Amino acid sequence: MATLRLRKSLPLLALLMPALLMVGLLFVYPLLFSLAYAFRDESSGGWYLGNFTKAFALYGGDIWLTVVVTLLSTALVGVLAVAIAGYLTLGENSRAVAALRWIYRWPMFIPFVVAAQLMRTFLAKSGMLNNSLMSLGLLEPLNAMSLLDWRGVVVTFVWKQLPFAALLISGAMASMDRSLMESARGLGAGRLRILLEIVLPQVSATVWVSLILSFVTMLSALSVPMMIIAGSPTMLTVDMAWRVNSYGDYGVANALGFVSFAMSGLAAWFYLRQGLREGGQPT
Amino acid sequence: MGTDPIISLCGLRVAYGSNEVLKGIDLSIAQGSFVALLGASGCGKTTLLRALSGFTPASGGSINVNGRDIQNEPPERRGMAMVFQSYALWSHMSVAQNMGYGLKLRRVPRDEIKRRVDDLLSMLGLSGYGERSVNELSGGQRQRVALGRALAVEPQILLLDEPLSNLDARIRLQMRHEIRSIQRQLGVTAILVTHDREEAMVMADQVVILDQGKIAQIGSPEEVYQRPQTPYVASFMGAENIIDCETERDREQVLLRVARVPQAAVSVDSTPDSPAPIGRVQVHFRSEMASLGEADNPSADSLRIPGKITQVSYLGGGYRCEIKTECGQFFIDHPRHVQSGDATTVNIPVPALHVFPRDPAREVRPPS
Repeated sequence: MATLRLRKSLPLLALLMPALLMVGLLFVYPLLFSLAYAFRDESSGGWYLGNFTKAFALYGGDIWLTVVVTLLSTALVGVLAVAIAGYLTLGENSRAVAALRWIYRWPMFIPFVVAAQLMRTFLAKSGMLNNSLMSLGLLEPLNAMSLLDWRGVVVTFVWKQLPFAALLISGAMASMDRSLMESARGLGAGRLRILLEIVLPQVSATVWVSLILSFVTMLSALSVPMMIIAGSPTMLTVDMAWRVNSYGDYGVANALGFVSFAMSGLAAWFYLRQGLREGGQPT
Repeated sequence: MGTDPIISLCGLRVAYGSNEVLKGIDLSIAQGSFVALLGASGCGKTTLLRALSGFTPASGGSINVNGRDIQNEPPERRGMAMVFQSYALWSHMSVAQNMGYGLKLRRVPRDEIKRRVDDLLSMLGLSGYGERSVNELSGGQRQRVALGRALAVEPQILLLDEPLSNLDARIRLQMRHEIRSIQRQLGVTAILVTHDREEAMVMADQVVILDQGKIAQIGSPEEVYQRPQTPYVASFMGAENIIDCETERDREQVLLRVARVPQAAVSVDSTPDSPAPIGRVQVHFRSEMASLGEADNPSADSLRIPGKITQVSYLGGGYRCEIKTECGQFFIDHPRHVQSGDATTVNIPVPALHVFPRDPAREVRPPS
């Protein structure tokens, strides 16, 4: 009986094996390895927390900056994506809606590194933004300053990640039953109210999912802070690359990786909880 | 019921691109009346309702409510509440929150909202359901909540877009009467869109039958049922058996002769008010108005067509028989069982005949 069951499940296992091996060898093993080596003292070969003390002492400010920049960018992405998706769903000027629909997706097709390069020329002290403001007489040349610090990172992240979130959210809004919005309008609700009180609660699961995915993407972007922030304070991905490339110090890099993993782990926990809530809710 | 029109439509047109869906609708609706817009799918009845509510812009004509043109008003300022086929309840709100939403928008104090929602819940037989999630309700209960939500704002005009179509047959019959009695009780003007003629007749004071974007007939349920003015209305109201005939004037009367059965002929009424058409005509009659076999009282007052029974099915109250004759197939309701294959005669009393000039489209079709 048992052998029969085994024989039946063998082809299944054979089919699953390549995928499992790929995930195991290329993803799970290196992940666990780097998590474990965050606690390893490479000189003595023992286990300790020294990498973490060093990481917090050297890069405590950068950890905070990473948290603040990523959360702020995520929040801005959320507000703007809901505004764009809301206009695409509830807007009545069909030309404006068509133009917005055509234009909002473009940044999605531009790689992070190109986006960062674009922003360097746009946000620099003598960049396009300041030049335009000066030629309009809105800014004195003496007051012009470079935005190439954490603010530039926020601008780039939002510009790059906004289309993705807007695409997901507007898709969810478009698949809503129109009569849900029309019944509220018939009762006297204006469009902003309908967006906030009817549409947003109905698509909240999608909003959360798109924000969590954006958060994790921004947390792991290396090229943007690398190219936009000159010097310190900077973001964790840059610090990790620096520890590895310049010092060969895998211990501290792994400890920083552990911190960054903890942040995305927290986001993943939110994501799963949201998925459960969505799946468990009868609609 | 008042007699002043609360709504008057004049030459209303709606087009989706180059496709004109409403081709000039003139209609006035009296305060407090219950009007049903009836028609087959694609006739424009839902478009008419949506044009009234403001969700579909009109391309021509005018919509006056209380003597004021509301053509350019957005839906939220038209003072009409709509009940949708899909209920359109908001699943993130409780029953009471759904019903009180319109009042919240009007900044009614919270205690007052609670009182009015409680009144509505008890009127709709939903007492104690206020705190439930709308996901926990049955279809009939959901439609009651949707009705309550629309009525809570005390609209002048209540728009009902096929509100009963998603309900079970039994609940549907009950809800017809409930909605009708609530409408009477509150005196609100109601406009119902439906494709179910029985529903329209049970609920409405006035039935508007739409055909391809135009009004085919307006009248009380009795009028549109008993005196259909076009073949479309006759068929839609259940007179679906059609015979091609010819009529000729015979002194004071009009003689009607079945085209392919020369011995079947009868004199029909022709009054100056409703003159019978002369020449090539089509005659509609209802299955339940005709009888089979030797009529109890064979008189000159009925059209008699010989034929053969080809199919018999039991309907509950009687049998529906398919009869094949020289001038086409008919469905006739008969109280007793008859044998399929037997020869018989179809008797149609003259008052049951609806005579119309023949539609040219019927001429090209070969007779079945």
